[in-house]
This record gives sequence, structure tokens and C-alpha cells, in this order.
Amino acid sequence: MTARVTQSMMHGQMIRNLNRNYQQMSVLQDQLSTGRKINKPSDDPVGITYALRYRSELSMNDQYQRNITEATSAVDHVDTVLDQINDLYSRVKELTVRGVSDSSPAEARNAIGQELDGIYKQLVTLGNDQVSGKYIFNGQKTTTAPYEMATAGTKDTDTADVVLPLAPGVDIATNISGNEVFGSSTDSDNMFKLVKQIRDAMNANDPVTAGQAMNQLDSRLNKFLGVRSEIGARANRIELLDNRNQALTDTLNGLSGKTEDADIAQTIMDLKTKENVYQAALSTGARIIQPSLVDFLK
Amino acid sequence: MRSTFHSIETAKRALFTQQAAIQTTGQNIANANTVGYSRQTVNMQATRPIEAIGMTHSTIPGQLGTGVEFTSITRIRDSFLDNQYRNQSQDQGKWSVQADTLDKLEAIFNEPNDTGIRTLFDNYWKGWSDLAKDPENVTARKVLRENAIALTDSINLASKQLSDMNRDLTDNIGVKASQINTLVGNIANLNYEISKIAAYGDNPNDLMDQRDVLTDQLSKIVNITVTNTAQGYNINMGGTALVTGDQAITVDAAGLEGAFGTDLTSGELYGMLQSRDYYVKDYQKQLDTLANSLANGKFTVTVPAGSVLPDGITLDGKTYTGSDRTLKDPLTVTVNGVNELHRMGYPLSNPPTAGVDFFVSSDGGPITAANLKLNPVIAASPDAIATSMRTDGTPEQVVPGNNTLALLMANLKDTKISFSNPDGTTPLIASGTIDDFYRSLIGQLGVQSQDAQRQVDNQDSLLAQIDERRQSVSGVSLDEEMSDLIKYQHAYNAAARVMTTFDDMLDKIIAMVR
Repeated sequence: MTARVTQSMMHGQMIRNLNRNYQQMSVLQDQLSTGRKINKPSDDPVGITYALRYRSELSMNDQYQRNITEATSAVDHVDTVLDQINDLYSRVKELTVRGVSDSSPAEARNAIGQELDGIYKQLVTLGNDQVSGKYIFNGQKTTTAPYEMATAGTKDTDTADVVLPLAPGVDIATNISGNEVFGSSTDSDNMFKLVKQIRDAMNANDPVTAGQAMNQLDSRLNKFLGVRSEIGARANRIELLDNRNQALTDTLNGLSGKTEDADIAQTIMDLKTKENVYQAALSTGARIIQPSLVDFLK
Repeated sequence: MRSTFHSIETAKRALFTQQAAIQTTGQNIANANTVGYSRQTVNMQATRPIEAIGMTHSTIPGQLGTGVEFTSITRIRDSFLDNQYRNQSQDQGKWSVQADTLDKLEAIFNEPNDTGIRTLFDNYWKGWSDLAKDPENVTARKVLRENAIALTDSINLASKQLSDMNRDLTDNIGVKASQINTLVGNIANLNYEISKIAAYGDNPNDLMDQRDVLTDQLSKIVNITVTNTAQGYNINMGGTALVTGDQAITVDAAGLEGAFGTDLTSGELYGMLQSRDYYVKDYQKQLDTLANSLANGKFTVTVPAGSVLPDGITLDGKTYTGSDRTLKDPLTVTVNGVNELHRMGYPLSNPPTAGVDFFVSSDGGPITAANLKLNPVIAASPDAIATSMRTDGTPEQVVPGNNTLALLMANLKDTKISFSNPDGTTPLIASGTIDDFYRSLIGQLGVQSQDAQRQVDNQDSLLAQIDERRQSVSGVSLDEEMSDLIKYQHAYNAAARVMTTFDDMLDKIIAMVR
């Protein structure tokens, strides 16, 4: 350092140091008040690209979570309806077995025929089941009813899948077509046809014709079991995705926090240290900007 | 033989000289806080000694002192430090303007933030995803429409802010040009006055200080080289002479822009031109690329089997019509942006009509950040948003529950697209997702801003250091002045004492003869 030190030098230096301390304190205060250590891109240019990525992914995960909730409720609803259909199928089987046995009197078969008629109507109603205005068994043609009461056995539903994206690259169908549940119009084991056929046979007191339908009924029941287990498997898969998505959200939250969030304890400590330095600088300043020789000359 | 009154003359000279020194000390103290003031010092010299006049050399021991005189009053200044200061000052000016610009750019993009462009992009993709869940419903369409409008609005706003910044910088360049003209004019005037005074052999210290202050100010605005000649300071900006003796040239904004990069290489003005023509322009262009690529950037998409393409559509050079329209196998094609993809599907109205362009430009030109907007048809009626890619039956009807197009749109978030500049130049990133592009834009801005800030900090401390050294040489130290004051005062008192002593002596001699 040069020998001459002037008042303005000390003054300038003092102001500069105070300013620097103040700036550092302002940065720390900014971090404390926002809770983030990245408040603009230049705070950490590398960190910000990660921070933005995590934010995007979190936001997308939020969307996937909403899709998963939607898919879960759709699949759960299908499962509930299938459960009701299952009860009806079992009842049809039970009634048919009872009706074809030789010991049943004609009146009993008539009663069975009447009950089967009710079941048929119930089946068509369930086939036209709707959730929030959308037909669940008609594939993508959600705005048209798949079945009509008189001609249900001759109708085919749309078989296209209604898919939802539940994770990046994972699209899952949330529906099942009426053709799979009840059989298509060309299937010999179409449930509507069978129920109608058995009903008519019972009404006509014709256990032989009804008995012929037994095999087809078994075949339909087997297929239906397949459909139910498929829906069950799909529900499991969605639940798995749900868990994975939530775990991923936790991880991303953690990563995002590490990248973006200020370590509050650390920041407070830093701020306290800087405050001390600032105080020290102030009191040093008071001492340095001393009265000069002027004050001692009288 | 010496004169009787010799000593009185000697004492008188001492009184005058010490008084001049005290006067100068007073001037120094008075200007202790004057910007650019250099302390002045009185250069004293013993006056020419005398020898007894005679034909021959006197036998009296010779060379009798005759007192003191001051030969000049000079300022204490190191022109080497001045040069150093001006060299650093121009770089400080350059970087501080750039850092300031980049700081404003960071504020325009405003990331990380929950209302920035990135968030609005997220909302836009989520809008499509929500619509995919419920393609039959008008509510989800309205949400998507609002999200798309919010997105285009925020891109438009950012673009407008960049244009405003461009204009502000142009205005500032004009202001700086007139500042230069004032400064060089004043310096030329001072050159004239200084050389006139110097011709009489005097030192116009205070005028020279003023000239140095003005030169320092000029060095912050443009890069200058200063040559000290008999006619005064000759100041050049690169190869352009700004001041030659008492002549100054007049600059204008257009001329300075022409000198950018050749004669003009530093200083605030350089920083402004660099900010405007490099940083602001670059980010404007990148934003344009983002907007244009969103609407028209090429990407590949796989349309699932069973989809029915609109009649007469041409994809990858193949026209689909009649039975070709129903895809038997999944079709992978290159699509020109959201707009073409949207034209591949159907809104819910019957008979089926292909979708319209999703984004359009508000002025009919190529889509840029400034003119990007949601197609007014969609803005007027969200039903015009296409979601389905399937038709069915005779007469042909749209299958409303088909969400293929909405899914493909939502998936664009993670699809790599080819970026294209609206003006046909090569974009910064050839291919990537929209998010990738925006992230790299923000990352680049962060690096540039951080770098500029670091440079400013460096230059600030360098400049402070040099200024400190300058202060150390030229600054007024009150302690020093006070001790000088005591010194000169005592010298003055002593000289007065000598005078009194001689007075007494002469009194004695005169009293003797009474």
C-alpha cells in the first residue's frame, strides 16, 4: 500500500465495505423471505434448469394423479356393475338348473320364466349403465345407448378402448365393452339371447330346449369370469401406478427442495454472521473516520 | 558589501512565499471533497544569491543568500494512473450496462415462478390431458381454451416487454450520443483555455483537473485513448478522433452504431448496443422460435389403428381419401406442429369436419411471439377444439368418446419437436421438447447474467483500487495540510521575527546618531 492515506480514501473504502456487507445481507434476507435459494436464473444457472424440470415433472405428476383418480373411479364403477351382473348370471344359472329338472311342475317353470323376464330387463338396464351421462359399455360411443329392450341380443357395442394416460408412456383402458360382458350379436352364448331363449322355454314348459342352453350358459359364465378378473387385474395395475406416482412425487419434492429451497437454519446463521460483520464494520468506521489533526490544533 | 536593507528584503520575500504556501494549503483544504481535485503544491526555490559588485572578486566570502521565491504552483497527479483508470472505467461501463440489461431480462422471464411461461405451458398440456378424460364435455374445452389464451397472452407480453426494452435502449443510445457531444465540446474548450494560459508559463491546475474529470466521464461512455500534446488532450475512440486540440467532432447515434465492434469496443455505449443487438434481440428471436415451433414445429406422431383421417388430408406426401382414411395399422407420420395435428381430428359437430389451425398469427404473417394467438374460431366457441380421430356409420358421424387427438396433444409435452425460426434461420436447439427449449433459454440467461454480474464486481473493485491509488497520490489529506499549515505558519512567524529583529537593529543604529 502506498504511504499516503487520505480521508477520502478511507471514506470511500468504508462506504464500499458497508455496501458490500449490505448487499450480502440483502441476498440472505431475500432467501429467508422467499424460502428459496434460487430467486432468479443467475442465482444458480445450473440449478435453475433442474428446478424448472422438477417443477414441470411435479405438475405433470399432479395431472397423472388426477387421471389415476379418474381411472380408479371408472374401473371401480365397472367392477360394481359387473358384480351386479354376476349376481344375475348366478341367479339365471340357479333358475335354469331348477327349471330343467324333471320334478318341476309347469307352474314353477312359469314362475321361473317370469323371474327370467325380470332378469332380462335388469340385464339390459345394466348394459345401458351410465356414469356422468356416458354409457360405460359402449366403447368410445359414449353418447349412444348400446342396447334396446327388444333387440338387445342382436346388438353389438363399440369395442374401442377409452384410454387414459396414467404415467409417461402408460395408457390404460378404463372401460370394457358390452360385447365382452354379454357376448356379441354373432356369439351363440350371447347372454341376452340365452336368457330370452330359456325364458321362452320355461314359459312353454319345455325343459329340453332350456336344457340345451345350459352348455352355452356355462361357456358365457366362464368368459364373464375372465372379464371380471381382467378388470380386477386392471384395478391392481392402476393402484400400483398410484403408489408409484405418489412415491415419485415424494422423490421429486425432495429433489426440488434440495435444489431450490434455502436451508433456513444455515441462512439464518449466515445472516447473523453478516449482521455481526456489518456491526463491526460500522463501529470500525466510527473509529476510522476519526477527528483529524484539525480537532487537536487550537 | 551588502545593502543595509538586504535582510529586510529577504524577510519580506519569505513572508510573501510562506503566505502563498498558506494560501495554497487553504485551497487544498477547501477542495478536500471536490471531485477530481488534485492537491497543489507551491514549489519554493532560493532566489539568486548575490556577489558583491566590483571590478574584482571580493574577498568577502561570497554567495550571499537573498531569500526565497516560489517558481510555480503545480498539481500532484500521476497520468499513468489516469490512463489505467480510464481503461478500466470503459469496461466497467460496458459490463454494468449489460448486467443491468440481463437483470431486466431475468425479470421479464420471471423464473422460477408459479405464474411464468413454464407454468402456463404446464397448464396448457394439463388442459389437453383433462380434455382427454372427458372429451364429450364442454367444461374441459372451456378450461383448455382459457389455458391456451393465458399461454399466448404471456408469450405476447414477454415479446412486447422485449420490444419495449429494445426501444428504451435505442433511446438511451441517443441520450449517450448527446452526452458525448457535450463532454467532447467542453474538453475542447478547456484545451483551448489551458493552452492559452500555459502559453504565459502559468499552470492552470484547476482547469486541468476539470478536464480530467470530463475525460474520466467520457471514458465511462466509450473507449478512448488520450494523448497529451502542446494543444491539449487529443482524444480518440479507436481510429476516430473525438477531440483534437480545441476542435471536437459531433457524433450521432447512427454513426456510433456504425462504429460498433470496430472503433467502438467498450464503454456504456458499447454495452447498450451489445445489449440491444445481441441479448435482447437473441431472446426475442428465441421466444419467436418457441412460439413458431409450438404451432408449426415438426414432430412424429403415431396415430392408432382404427382412426379415421379427414377426407383428402395429405400426410408425408400421401393423400388419404375413401377407404384409405380408416387406418388398419398404426400410422407414424411427421406432423407440422400443433396446427397440423389439430387438423387431423374432428370437433364434435356433425357431419364431421376437420379441425382448424389451433394457433394463428394476429397479423397474418409467420407466427412469432408477438402475434401468436389462439384461433379466433376456437376462442369464440370451444366446441371447435378437435378431440376425436374417429368417425363411424352412414351418414358419417363423429365418435365423441374418442380422445385420441386430445391424448396426442397432451403427449406433446414429452415429444421432441424440431424447432424452426420464423425468419428461416437456424435455431439454437435443433430438436427437443418445448420444456427443454425453454429451460435452456432460462439456463443461458442465468449464465450470461451471472457472468456479467461477476465482471461488474471485478471491474468495480479494480476501478476502486485504481481510484484509491489515485487518491493516494492526488487526494487531499487534512492531516498533511494541517501539518503543512503549522510549518508555513511558523516559517511566516519566524520571517516576521527576522523583520522585527532588523527593525530593532536599524532602530539602534539610527538612535546612535541622535
